[in-house]
Amino acid sequence: MSTASRDRILAATKANKPAELPLPTVPDFGGEATAERFAAVLAGIGGTVVRMNGLGELVSTLQQLFPEARTTASPLFAASVPINAQTPTGILAAIDLTVLQGEIGVAENGAVWLPEANMMNRALPTITQHLALVLDHRRIVATMHQAYAQLPNTGGYGKFVAGPSKTADIEQSLVIGAHGARSLVVVLY
Amino acid sequence: MNHATRADKFLLDADRTTWHDETLWFVREKRDRAVYAVPEFQELRQLASDIKDHTLSRLDLYLQEFEAAAQANGVHVHWAADAAEHNAIILDIIQKQGATRIVKSKSMLTEECHLNPYLIKHGIEVVDTDLGERIIQFRDEPPSHIVLPAIHLKKEDVGETFHTHLGTEKGESDPQRLTEAARQHLRGKFIAGQVAISGVNFAIAETGGVVVCTNEGNADLGVNLAAVHIACMGIEKIIPRLTDLGVFTRLLARSATGQPVTTYTSHFTKPVAGKEMHIVIVDNGRTQQLGRPDFRASLKCIRCGACMNTCPVYRRSGGHSYDFTVPGPIGAILSPNIDMKKHASLPFASTLCGSCTDVCPVKIDIHTQLYKWRQVLGEANEIPASKKWSMKFMGRVLASTRVYGLGGQFARKALRLLPHGLTHATSVNAWAVARELPEAPKQSFREWYAKQPQPAAQPAQPKIPA
Repeated sequence: MSTASRDRILAATKANKPAELPLPTVPDFGGEATAERFAAVLAGIGGTVVRMNGLGELVSTLQQLFPEARTTASPLFAASVPINAQTPTGILAAIDLTVLQGEIGVAENGAVWLPEANMMNRALPTITQHLALVLDHRRIVATMHQAYAQLPNTGGYGKFVAGPSKTADIEQSLVIGAHGARSLVVVLY
Repeated sequence: MNHATRADKFLLDADRTTWHDETLWFVREKRDRAVYAVPEFQELRQLASDIKDHTLSRLDLYLQEFEAAAQANGVHVHWAADAAEHNAIILDIIQKQGATRIVKSKSMLTEECHLNPYLIKHGIEVVDTDLGERIIQFRDEPPSHIVLPAIHLKKEDVGETFHTHLGTEKGESDPQRLTEAARQHLRGKFIAGQVAISGVNFAIAETGGVVVCTNEGNADLGVNLAAVHIACMGIEKIIPRLTDLGVFTRLLARSATGQPVTTYTSHFTKPVAGKEMHIVIVDNGRTQQLGRPDFRASLKCIRCGACMNTCPVYRRSGGHSYDFTVPGPIGAILSPNIDMKKHASLPFASTLCGSCTDVCPVKIDIHTQLYKWRQVLGEANEIPASKKWSMKFMGRVLASTRVYGLGGQFARKALRLLPHGLTHATSVNAWAVARELPEAPKQSFREWYAKQPQPAAQPAQPKIPA
């Protein structure tokens, strides 16, 4: 690494920057923080919302949704494959269904905040064939402003996940299931 | 070769040009629908513009804040003055790992630095993992759009390419099946990847973390399976606070593709235990652009591509006609800063209609900057002699009422009397290449007006005391 370049870049930046301008305050903007809006927007981007009355119904809800999932990973119920941060890639790559706890839902865009602490392994939410995120409907906010305002920090790694992996790189034709999870279900309770 | 000559090549296939034009306009329409659904969208644009202006005005301080926070997170921070240094830093990190298999997610900066050919020359396998980028990597072509890298190709072209490189059935052109073939092929590459290289959409000074936005999930998959993550960013990617992302994530995908947000908005802040994370901060001409008051606003760009999708010239000339990493209107104001001579024709590849400025989510005055680059290029004598002298000539004519009147009389006569083959000779009259001149009127408006009866004198108005 060259400290000479660091010093040169910082000196040139300092010399060439414009006179200081103020940093604006971003207002809240309000908005509709409802499960209905969240579900409608998520459906529009290829995801699905399923409702249950409480966490007690999780296993039966998942069995109905994914009757064919043979290999499952989850910290929320007795899943078939134990996963931790050191789990080898080969085992991760063979997971059919991963079920994780989401923290915040964003009604305007169908995104769910998924922190590292809830992932079991950083690669799991994208390498799994199918992903289900469990979300408390009281944790739905209207906009990204409100979501970021609620995040204490972003940890080592974390992400907003909005729907399944997708691409339109071939003639703008939408294809669901590019590299990450082929489907995304948000289980609201 | 200039932009117009390269565009001629693209225009040879009229059906494809029409398809390209309509497809990008369709993306622009999707953008409009997404934007109109957000009542505060215009306020968000202003906030984004103000946050970026503020950041540029304290950029040296924010860069140091970012570096300190990233280092406290256990991240290695590197600084590169130019493309060569950027590439050398990355090769060094890879070689220290003893790695030879690299997976890469989208980064216009690494395109700008020509990282792939450099690594390949040093015996490293580099796999672009974004589907569009993988397609053009197979075809050995540069991207033609910053968000839709393979938008110049039809599904039959992709089918042909995959038949050659992935062994898909000949004639297969179904996007679903082609994407599945790429998924299977790239899963193998992800699993084998030793070092993952990603771009950066936003770098947060406050937290030292970087944010990468994708729809495919290729950045998350590559980074989290590899032992080392290298994130490459230009100095202008900095934003001050985590909460500023509320503004930018609401603007980026809506402006780019009309989605409410990208599928993945991933925050990479600390490496996992036993792995490494590196951030390479690159100048490569950016501090110079910061020092140009007329053009520094171009550094506010968040690379959404909206200006390309809306541009009547880009849509009908294709991204490759710009011959620069970033094509379209924004590329035409970034490129002369890098090499004024080579890219001298790009600021002229515009009608100055201003549509780019209207859709820009960070309110860059793109069409004004295009106009200003033309002045700079004129001063620097970087415009073709024919354009230079005809502009000088027209400047004289239009500056004098008398010369303008005489010139008009002459031109109207000449157009009526001279043979069509001469007035429309494309060697001297580029206007006539694809257009007919209007029929010359016998009389100008001024000549007509002079012959009209003079209006009666108005009675004097009473004076109003001041």
